[in-house]
Amino acid sequence: MTPLLEFLRIGFGYGKRTLFNDLDARIVADDCIALVGPNGVGKTTLLRLAAGTLAPECGDVLLKRRSLRSLKQREIARSIAFVPQHVEVSFPFTVEQFVEQGRTPFLRIFGGLGAEDRRAVERALELTDTASLRSRVYNQLSGGERQRVKIALGLAQQPQLLLLDEPMQNLDIGRQFEMVDLIRRLRREGLAILASMHDLSMIEGVFSTVWLLAPDEQMRQGPPREILHPQVLEDAFNCPPRHRPRLVEHTRNRSEIAI
Amino acid sequence: MAMEVVAARARKGREGRREARQRWLPPVLLAVLLLAIPVAAGMGAAHLPLWMLGQAAAGVQPLSPDQHEILFSIRLPRILAAILVGSGLSVSGLLFQGLFRNPLADPYVIGSSGGALLGASLGVFLLPAVSIAGFGTTALLAFAGAAGSIALVYWLAMADGKTPVVALLLAGFAVSTMLSYSSYFLEVMDNSFGAGMHVLSSWLHGTIVQPGWDQLCIVAVMIVIGIGGSVPLARTLNTLALGEEYAMHLGISVQRTRIAVILIGSLLTAAAVSLGGLISFTGLIVPHILRMVLGPDHVRLLPATALAGALFLLLADTAARTVVAPAELPVGVLTAFIGGPFFLYLLRKARQEVAL
Repeated sequence: MTPLLEFLRIGFGYGKRTLFNDLDARIVADDCIALVGPNGVGKTTLLRLAAGTLAPECGDVLLKRRSLRSLKQREIARSIAFVPQHVEVSFPFTVEQFVEQGRTPFLRIFGGLGAEDRRAVERALELTDTASLRSRVYNQLSGGERQRVKIALGLAQQPQLLLLDEPMQNLDIGRQFEMVDLIRRLRREGLAILASMHDLSMIEGVFSTVWLLAPDEQMRQGPPREILHPQVLEDAFNCPPRHRPRLVEHTRNRSEIAI
Repeated sequence: MAMEVVAARARKGREGRREARQRWLPPVLLAVLLLAIPVAAGMGAAHLPLWMLGQAAAGVQPLSPDQHEILFSIRLPRILAAILVGSGLSVSGLLFQGLFRNPLADPYVIGSSGGALLGASLGVFLLPAVSIAGFGTTALLAFAGAAGSIALVYWLAMADGKTPVVALLLAGFAVSTMLSYSSYFLEVMDNSFGAGMHVLSSWLHGTIVQPGWDQLCIVAVMIVIGIGGSVPLARTLNTLALGEEYAMHLGISVQRTRIAVILIGSLLTAAAVSLGGLISFTGLIVPHILRMVLGPDHVRLLPATALAGALFLLLADTAARTVVAPAELPVGVLTAFIGGPFFLYLLRKARQEVAL
């Protein structure tokens, strides 16, 4: 299968601190990848590199075999949608107006949304189950509602790859299950997904692959059962050894909940 | 269940009303503005009632030479000036609010009026403002001053892609004060004669001086270019409301947008200042009220703001020159009376919503 997105020997860092060195990875059409790792290891940075809003210092990111450097951001945004962790809107835009912004990469300077743009927006609202929120003001939504509306904006871009930055952040358990259902639904729609995940308990049964970033190590890739192993996690997250039994319990029990 | 249905119906009703307002407001504003022009033209020390103007227009009974002179050399230029100034200030306010992602931005508050004033004052002292070349240079220098000061305030107040309210207001206040008082310095330096001084003092008070038709033409061209240039920016400002990084991801060139808004906003401020001087808060009140009526979509706000701004300042200026007749109030005094409390109310509200 031709890869959708490829990281080719990526190097990136902030100042003297190197985050990635010779990182190689690829995403194919029906991948659903959870990106995990300790705080500050560069999960969001990797998502930004994938979205083309950051450029790697060396190496290359390829979208369908074309370097992101050679593509305009408009073109990238038609294939890859990045859903950030926090979005602050400075004016009281409604949910519908918010989601319409996802059509920006398709619009010309003059002229508004056409019939096809409308259809994409409606489909995005429908898939995320947010059509009933359309005339609510985005800034007044609850955390769970905001999360789904942000994903709707990403879906309005009609992407092939969806990048989610901490989609489960600040959601109560009920809303977390809603998000799990939504991610499963999007997989069925044929979207490739790369999501950074803080909470490891929701990964099994939802994601097909886990990418584990650890400081000063190469990224590990594999199926959830292999990567979410207490020994592996203990090293990567630098957990105090005396908490090992709880780590074991954590990964075992919670994965049952998710399935 | 029944409650939900009722709530949904109520929401639908609200939406429908908002849509109707969105459709009807611009033509209604235009109609009221066109109606307000002859009414305002009739008001003043020499009363020219509507029926008299109507008869003259229909060719039944022409105006006397004096009345003709009053109408075409005094009243109409003044009215058009108020319309242009109001439009320019309101649209530049709308643009700056979108760029700063802050509803408190206003050409006066953030110092671009002050910059335009200093530039324009330089023009007045270098060349006589009455000649076309002189006025053109004045307007050009006002533009340079406005663009320079806004860029400075933006750079001072910006942190993490946002402009915190306090940083914006403080930077704007400092820059604006420095620039306005620099204009006083020029006044002292000008020892040749009183003409420049007269222009400068009316600018500092925010009086719409009696413009000539050639000045009006220059300003009208600037305003038309400015508003026309704002049209492609309007939708970009909607996207920018999501934050600079997100806008960038969606394919907006943030840097180019920033430069375009600063240039076009400054052009509009400069045009307005070269006719009316420091007129405060107009660029704040007009977009804010329209946002409450029409919602925050800049594409819809732009034409309504241009028209409502024109109407607002025409009414304010007509009041300013008639309420204490035969004396005249600077219209800047009036907008400060109306706009100052309004600004403080918004500041209070912003403080409750987000911690400063």
